[in-house]
Formats: sequence, structure tokens, C-alpha cells
Amino acid sequence: MTTADAAPVRRKSLRRTLSDSRAVQLIILTIGVFILWGIISSIIERPDRYLPSPLTTLISSADLLEKGVLVSFYSDTLTRLVIGSIVGLLMGIPFGLILGLNRTIADMFYPLMNFFQSVSGIAIFPIIVIWFGNSNTTVMIVILYTSFFPIAFNVLSGVRAVPMRYISAARTLGATRFQIIRDVLLPGAMPSVAIGSRLSIGFAWRAVIAGEMLAGQAGLGNMIFAGQELDNTAQIILGMALIGFTWILLDHFLLRPLESDTIERWGLVTR
Amino acid sequence: MTALTEFSIAVQKRFGRQRLRKFILGLIPFIVLIALWEMNTAFVWFDPVEIPPITDVWEAIFWLQSDCPSFMAAVDGHNGCQLSNNVLSSIGRVMLATVVGVPLGIGFGILAGMNRTVSAYLEPIGVFMNSVSGIAWIPLAVVWFGVGWETTLFIMLNTIFWLLFFNTMMGVRAVPRVLVQGVQTLGGSHLDTIRQVYLPGAMPSIITGGRMAMGFGWRALIAAEMIGGDSGLGFMIFVSASEFKTEEVFLGVILISIIFLATDRYLLVPLEKWTIERWGLVWKPT
Repeated sequence: MTTADAAPVRRKSLRRTLSDSRAVQLIILTIGVFILWGIISSIIERPDRYLPSPLTTLISSADLLEKGVLVSFYSDTLTRLVIGSIVGLLMGIPFGLILGLNRTIADMFYPLMNFFQSVSGIAIFPIIVIWFGNSNTTVMIVILYTSFFPIAFNVLSGVRAVPMRYISAARTLGATRFQIIRDVLLPGAMPSVAIGSRLSIGFAWRAVIAGEMLAGQAGLGNMIFAGQELDNTAQIILGMALIGFTWILLDHFLLRPLESDTIERWGLVTR
Repeated sequence: MTALTEFSIAVQKRFGRQRLRKFILGLIPFIVLIALWEMNTAFVWFDPVEIPPITDVWEAIFWLQSDCPSFMAAVDGHNGCQLSNNVLSSIGRVMLATVVGVPLGIGFGILAGMNRTVSAYLEPIGVFMNSVSGIAWIPLAVVWFGVGWETTLFIMLNTIFWLLFFNTMMGVRAVPRVLVQGVQTLGGSHLDTIRQVYLPGAMPSIITGGRMAMGFGWRALIAAEMIGGDSGLGFMIFVSASEFKTEEVFLGVILISIIFLATDRYLLVPLEKWTIERWGLVWKPT
């Protein structure tokens, strides 16, 4: 006797299937948000200043595209993100590895790192501006500063999570210190590296936007900031939408698959 | 046995050898850093405008408070008490945002966790809102609310609300159906299931979300005060930086991190631990 016999097969109606489907819900939601947005912007006074209609926002994007600014802003921001996060990861991974390998060094630097992590990158921004002025260097330093800590902490805990018996086994078989790092610790810490990288890049993305805004360097962050100063609200909303969608696409199609693939490939280490 | 070894053994017994070792080792980089800072004052490797002497940073406290008549005046927010006013206004904003944002976030989170349709419509909005980082909202908030406390409050609320919403939703979803059905079988109403099952079951996740929200919210608040504020620590360091009063900037940055560290270490971490001990039956950290 199986449960299938007991339970009568109920077919879902077409309407139910449709309303349960994620894609349909997402489409309904998107249309609903746009309609609501349009209604609100037609009700309020001075919509140009407070909430321009979706159409106005689109037209302003065509205007910016025509001038070629939008593309150049976009590429500036992305370039900063890519360079900043790669350098940040290249600095953070070895640092975390060293801390993970040696308990004395880890005990020494952990409180310091903890302190500096809580000094957020945005808070040190004024100091960096005094040191380097409103320049590209300032933005890059803020990006590096914010992206360094999540990856370093994650690599540290990843290396520590590798079970001792794997290291002992490799050592019994005559592995050198370098071989243990290359063949045991690094692959064992790989899932943490992936998780930390995603976190780091997320922080770097926020830092890029904030840095561009405050230091006045060309890019998406500066675009929305300038939009506020020029009273061009359509430009602000366009910039925000671009920032949001870029991050969703980046996260959904690049970082998340990378993370889950890494965990699948190297996630042998049981925790 | 000399007095020194006796003393060191007594200290080791009192605090534990390992903890003592950790503490002393952790102290070394701080001491080195402060020594380097002091040496910079003595040898002037960097200009005082770039790195002010420690004494100047310390004196900035009194300089900023110099017009403050009394302690009670500082609590009242007298115009002369610049430092305490800024600290109080930042903390006040955090509290206000917590009082408004936490119940809202938890409420909507429970609703979305219990009802698939609600979550299907709220979740994508939340994903988008979280992707447009809090800082990117500042220009729009300034246009809407002008420069002032509404803007900073809005930025902080926006950050707190969505983080709590997501964590509560995840926590509620992780509650086993059996427990809910158990209460329902015994004649529990909807409200009973929320109060007796969903809320306690999701509690560890909610508190962890709250800790995260505090971290992100504090950062967002500082940024919002810099761009769209008229008081607060973020505002203070930004204005001081534009006037090249570096000692005030250093003081502000140190205060910002100390306030955050103290809140996290002495309020949120114990709360999280206690909650997980008390209710941590279903939820696993992700």
C-alpha cells in the first residue's frame, strides 16, 4: 500500500498554476510597481523634482546615452570595482592564509583587524581625503580597505576549519610544509575563499558608489550625487536602478554560481 | 622566588594562561601603532595636518566641549556642547530607527514567512532594495526630505528594515511544520501559532539579523550624516575634514568605531548567545 493510492490526485487549475509560477509573479510585480510609480508621480505636485514618471526617467536615459556619458560612467564604475576587488582579494587571501597558519601571528593581529574592521571605510573617508585629496587614489584606497577584511577573516576561518587529521595524514606521507599548504590547506579553505570573495566584492561595490559620491570622481555614484545637485531627479532614479540591477546581475550570474561551484568542487571538508 | 614571578603566576592563575597570552599578544600591534604615532609627532615624518599628535586628538575632546556649561546642559543638548551633541544625535537616531524599524521588519518578515504569496511579492522588492545599497539612496532621500534628520532616519530605516525582514522570513520558514501543526491541533489560533511557535522559533535568526542590521545601519547612518545630515558624528568628521581639523576627524573616527564595538560586544553578542541558548532549536546559521 503506497501513499499514492490513498491520496487522490488533484490537478491544479491553469489559473492556480499561473499564479504560483515565480516568473508570472515577478512580471505582475514589475508591472504593478511601474503602474504605482506612474500613479504616484501623476498625483504629487512637481513630479519633476520629487518623483518623475517612468517615461521621463527613460527619456532622460536616452538623453544621457546620446551624450555618451552614461556608458563612460558605467565603465568607470565597473573598472574601479574590478581593479579594487582583485587587488583587495590578492592582498586579503595571503594575509588570511598567514594568519590561519600560525596561531601566534593570528593572536597578535586578530584584535587589531577586528578594531579596523569596525572602523568602516566610509568613516575613514575624510582622513583619506585629507591625505590624498579628492582623487582616484582616494576611491581606490577606500575600496581596498573595505574589501580586505571580509576575505581575510573568511580565509582565516577556512584554514582553521581544515581537520587536523588531513594535515597529519599528509605529513605522515612525507609532505613538506609547502606541499601541505598547496595540497591540503588551500583546497580545504576554498569554499571559505569563495564565500569571502563574494562578501568582499559586495562591500567593494558599496564602497565604489560611496567613494565616487564623496570624492566626486566620475561614475555611477557621482552621477546620482550630481543629479541631486542639479535637481535632476530622473538622473538619480536612473542611476539607482542601474546600481541595483548591475549588482543583482553580477551576484546572480557570476558570484553565486562561482560560490556554489566552488563549494561543490572543494567542499569535502566537513564542518 | 622573586616577587615578579610570584606576581606573574598569580595573574596567570587569575585570568588563565591562554587568555592572558592572547590578550598580551593582541596588545602588541596596538602598542607598536601608538608608538609609531608618537614617533611621528617627535620626528615629523608626516605633517601634523595629515597625522595629528595624540595629545591634540585628546585635547580636541575638551576643545569641542569648551563652551559646555555643565553635565546637565550636555544632556539637554546645549549649543556649546558640540561633541556630546553630535554623539547623542547619532545614538538617538539609531534608537529611533530601531524602535520604528525593528517591529516593522519583524512583522512583515513573519507575514512573508507564513504566506508564500506575500513573500513572492515582497522578496523581489527586498532583493532590489538590498542591492541598491543604503548609500545610493542618500541623494534621493535628500531630494525628498531635505538635509536633516528625516534623511538620515530614512536611510537607516531602509537598511535595518530589509535585513530584518529577510532574516525573520528565513527564520520563520525554518520552523518545522510539525510544531505549527501541533499547536493547531491543540486548538491554537493564528495568533497563538505566531506567538508560541513562529516568533520563538525564528528568534535566533531575528537576533542575528538585528546584529547585521546594526552593523550595516551604523555605516549607512555615518554616510548619510556626511552627505545629508546637519548633526551627528558623520557630519562632524566631514565638516572638520573640510576645515582640515584633522585631530577632530581622528577623534570622530575613533569614537565611531568605539561606539559600534561597544554596542556589538556588550549588547548584541551576549543577546545573540543568550537567544541561541534559549531558543536555538531549529535554526542553523547559514
